[in-house]
Amino acid sequence: MLTKEETEHATRVLGREPNRTELAMLDVLWSEHCSYKSSKRWFHLFKTDGERVFLGIGEGAGLVDLGDGVLLGVAMESHNHPSQVDPYNGAATGVGGIIRDVISQGCKAVGLMNCLRFGPPTRPHNAHLLEQVVRGISDYGNSVGIPMVGGEIEFDDSYDYNCLVNVVCIGVATADRIVRSSARTPGHSLVLFGSTTGRDGIAGVSFASETFSDTEEEDRGAVQIGDPLAKKVLIDALEELLDEHLLDGLQDLGGGGLTSAAGEMASRGGTGVNIDLGTVPLREEDMQPWEIIVSESQERMLAVVAPEKVERVLEVLAQNEVPHAVIGRVTDDGYYTAVMDGEVCARLPVSLLVDGFPEPKRVEQALPVESTSLAWVRGPDDYAATVKQLLGSLNICDRSWVYSQYDQHVQANTVVDIGENAGVLEFPRGKLVAFTSDCNSFWCLLDPKSGAANSACEALRNLVSMGAEPILIADCLNFGNPEHPESYAQFVEAVRGLGQFSHDFDIPVVGGNVSLYNESVVEGRTFRINPTPQIMMAGLFPAESRPVRRTLCTPWANLFLVGRTHRELNGSEFQRLTLGHVTGLPPRYQPDDEKRTMRAMLEAHAAGLIRSCNNVGRGGLAVALMKMVLSGEYGFKVKLEDIPGTATSPTEILFSETPSRYIAEVTESNQPQFFEIMRRHKVPVAELGLTTQDAVADFGLFSLTISEAREAYSHVFERYLD
Amino acid sequence: MSIAVIRFPGTNNEHDVIRALRQVPGAEPFLVPSRLGARAVLDADGVILPGGFSYGDYLRAGAIAAVEEVMDGVKELAEGGRPILGICNGFQVLTEVGLLPGVLLPNKTSRFICKWVHLRVCDENTLFTEGLAGLTIRIPIAHAEGCYHCSDDELTLLEQEDRIIFRYSDEHGVVTPEVNPNGSLDNIAGIVNRRGNVLGMMPHPERAARPALSSADGMTILENFVRGARAP
Repeated sequence: MLTKEETEHATRVLGREPNRTELAMLDVLWSEHCSYKSSKRWFHLFKTDGERVFLGIGEGAGLVDLGDGVLLGVAMESHNHPSQVDPYNGAATGVGGIIRDVISQGCKAVGLMNCLRFGPPTRPHNAHLLEQVVRGISDYGNSVGIPMVGGEIEFDDSYDYNCLVNVVCIGVATADRIVRSSARTPGHSLVLFGSTTGRDGIAGVSFASETFSDTEEEDRGAVQIGDPLAKKVLIDALEELLDEHLLDGLQDLGGGGLTSAAGEMASRGGTGVNIDLGTVPLREEDMQPWEIIVSESQERMLAVVAPEKVERVLEVLAQNEVPHAVIGRVTDDGYYTAVMDGEVCARLPVSLLVDGFPEPKRVEQALPVESTSLAWVRGPDDYAATVKQLLGSLNICDRSWVYSQYDQHVQANTVVDIGENAGVLEFPRGKLVAFTSDCNSFWCLLDPKSGAANSACEALRNLVSMGAEPILIADCLNFGNPEHPESYAQFVEAVRGLGQFSHDFDIPVVGGNVSLYNESVVEGRTFRINPTPQIMMAGLFPAESRPVRRTLCTPWANLFLVGRTHRELNGSEFQRLTLGHVTGLPPRYQPDDEKRTMRAMLEAHAAGLIRSCNNVGRGGLAVALMKMVLSGEYGFKVKLEDIPGTATSPTEILFSETPSRYIAEVTESNQPQFFEIMRRHKVPVAELGLTTQDAVADFGLFSLTISEAREAYSHVFERYLD
Repeated sequence: MSIAVIRFPGTNNEHDVIRALRQVPGAEPFLVPSRLGARAVLDADGVILPGGFSYGDYLRAGAIAAVEEVMDGVKELAEGGRPILGICNGFQVLTEVGLLPGVLLPNKTSRFICKWVHLRVCDENTLFTEGLAGLTIRIPIAHAEGCYHCSDDELTLLEQEDRIIFRYSDEHGVVTPEVNPNGSLDNIAGIVNRRGNVLGMMPHPERAARPALSSADGMTILENFVRGARAP
């Protein structure tokens, strides 16, 4: 809802009070979701340009040049609020929306990812949300025919009343097919096509810009309903329109519906629009002008078409049986004018509507500084049992229950399935690109700035461990209520952290969105999500190189730990397991170490020296080693001595989550060259031990069989979901 | 050989199939939107019904596509001995129109399932399996309704006539209930009609079409299909 100040501001600018339709339009476009009114002021902290950036943040999808004329498009968005209320449809339309963002830019959609956060499934309602969200994504994505290539899931009590559903769509295009989301030329026609317009999703963005109360039931009408069949037909028709270069501008109708699509295109083009709402194809009777103009009915697009091409556009749409209509034209007056039955029902300056909101004052509170104390640490009595417990932890265990429900192979470009450090797709001209996403919300809770930067480092290592060089970032920043100074401070600090990372590593942020108000009041108590700056990253493999996986390849090879291990157990999964919560200062962000190991590993990969490789992440060295044997035939025999860094006790060495570390399997003949590269980059390396023929994980101090580890790791979700 | 690849509204594997067919010398695949009707397929040397969600799988997988007029053309070609291949949703359509016996029920897990599976190929040489007889191949599946079911009599006939072409197996070709991903009767993954020119299979050969995808096993099936289109 518009604040009193906002209504007064609009009245002052207009010189009159806005009417009902205009109020509805301002309400949706000035919502946090559409306007970024609390967040936009910080975006300058991100690195957004770069040699490869073809189109940066600001339209449907960011575009990055892979070379040889191949463009990669990427968009990322949240659909948190709808998914909490109606998990099946909320998640499905999240996928639908992000696909539209990418295809409306002229790309073919070639991959999907999703990043999910729930309360623990031990509570039946959370299990229900997980089940329905996955089913919604699966039904929609599978039907439309776009493979799922990555994603992740994390559980924490803080998501009990606010689950997170972040979705990514990846596209591919050539420069000549790119369509911009702008209405540049007065006199051009506006063609609305796709589904008809109904009352679903009325003012969905406004509802997504407020905190939940106990009255979720009333919000159900604000959730859109997806239609994957209509989407597939829309995609086919759009391909034809793009093939014939018939469109001068295109934007999908997502949050804010026709108000946002037409308003934003006019704003970018420096023009105005005149729309006759009476011409919009409707699916319900007696819809009021304000309902038509803010409806978020799915599977719709608005195209800008030159007069001489209108006839052919309508012909293509008719042949494909896609509902469509010419609903108006581009004007030169700078106004968004809407008429119905010959009467003007809205006339707002585009500049007021699109970003003329009064910027709200937000207060950033100083966040508490956490302690570095490790007084809580106690070495476990039974290390093998602790390792198994970690493997069975909801935040580490096997996720195949989820991923097997997604079609990962449609389009026949999937080189590496989900479950490795990153999913890999083959792009045109044989280019291989790896995709990953990460966010350690526990680190971010304890220190949003370093937590965000280190989450990005973790994503980076996922790519580098396979041999791919990171080329882009997309993000989805999920936080609490920005009107609360502590929540706002978490957001700003995380942006500082990610901004710093993007500059330190010279990786541009090319897409993303912000989801605030992930905070609920239940029975008088406030529940706020952990700060969750969800980071997606893509990496390009050098020509002729193949992705390196993490499963051990051969017995009698040596295993090396690359990088330093420090006493960084605060914020770790081991701490969560031991104490039941996280506390203290999480691992430090050390960009220099991270950069050096990255360069060394990429060089060693490019030379083909590494057989298998894993990044050390959640659960530390112990879990990283175990993940290298869980799906293979071989085991290992390692010793935990002479590890570079400040960690000394077995507990510290096994479970510390210090970043900038990798485990590499290197055969003897490759070792001289491997050492030479590490030395040149000043990266410390420790020999951990050998790979073995026996399916046993032998840590020296203790050992466990691979089959008992597998038992601990597998079928954990099924306990709550079948 | 001109190969008609039919797209119903909601079909989504048509381009994958066409791309794989283009790798086969002599194959000339062309896309047929189903609205063009039976006339558009009658001149083809063979037909592939690709996977996807024809008509959104509304009502029942393949049920609405099966009553489209274009299927009259497919039946006519089948009767003329032309090779017809239905993959995944295409298999469902072939059972719905009666070109193949049985039905495909929802998976026993009641969930969509996507994974790489191994298939034990039947011992007999057939049109589609030349060079594969008795081997174990690796191809992915992706479906929600792939649990093959038929009457006892039909199953007996299928077995007697060596018409069960593919069975889900382990990597060594051993057919066990544990490796059955969807609950199919007798681990059935693919069957042919009596004449042997109509094959329905749930796994996707076009997704195992080049080494970069970690298996090219599906290409042999498609190559055999194209060869079959040459000489009815």
